[in-house]
Amino acid sequence: MRRVSRGFIVFILAFTVYVVYTGSISGYDIVTGVIVSAVIGALFSNIVVEKPIKVVDPRRWLHLLVYALLYFTYYEAKAHIDVIRRILHPKLPVNPAIVEAPYRIESDFAITAVANSITNTPGTVVVDIDPSKKNFYIHWISAKTLDPLEARREIFETFEKHAKRIFE
Amino acid sequence: MLEAQLVLVLVGSALLCLGAFAAIVSAIGFHRFKNFYLRLHAATVGTIWGSVYPLIGAALIAITISELGAYRWFVPGAIIVAAIIVLMLAPAGSHALARGVHRARVARVKPCLADKLDPELCG
Repeated sequence: MRRVSRGFIVFILAFTVYVVYTGSISGYDIVTGVIVSAVIGALFSNIVVEKPIKVVDPRRWLHLLVYALLYFTYYEAKAHIDVIRRILHPKLPVNPAIVEAPYRIESDFAITAVANSITNTPGTVVVDIDPSKKNFYIHWISAKTLDPLEARREIFETFEKHAKRIFE
Repeated sequence: MLEAQLVLVLVGSALLCLGAFAAIVSAIGFHRFKNFYLRLHAATVGTIWGSVYPLIGAALIAITISELGAYRWFVPGAIIVAAIIVLMLAPAGSHALARGVHRARVARVKPCLADKLDPELCG
């Protein structure tokens, strides 16, 4: 029963992607979409979803929307302007270091979301991750601090807060 | 309706112009930075502002073009799915490159303030 509900969630996600991608709701597309999504749902049910109830919670989707809007307007713009200024500056002011910063999230989805958010903002790239010590190792173009907790606050504390609300 | 279309075209064109600017800056950064890790940061500018934003801009413009006929929703839909896939997979590629290069000790971190992962590779 659990496997069916998990598979159904994957089916819905895959079918949504299919419909958006093809941009049509003709009979042919619905039928092929249902067949393909059903196969994907059966194959990936136990890999993608752990607790199906989390996926249907509208508050999580609302948080995802809020986070996406904030991220794409404010955080991306701030980081891009900073790195573009460094690239175009005649003296190339860089001060890089690989800093360690501890994270406090548990689920794989949340860790991936935070790591991707860090790497997608120019100026910070996650080089390695240590699951036993729960550390990110981040290459930072302008290391303001080498202290792990300070680095965590400067780089990804807000991403982590949002990821926690979305995925945990 | 027409005003809505005009707004979509204007926002889409603005995103495309931003993308062109970011792509050029990213290319300049690629040449000016002399270190592997610094070039990764320049590449990120080229992925997010340089390709995800203009893809979304192109999708907004495609919505307004009614001459596309049956493909009117296919073009923006495919573009948005492509943008989301770039958004999720580009950082995975950056992680893989950075981690692989650091573990294989191919490139040094230079200039370097500190390297908490492997102090020997600093400088």
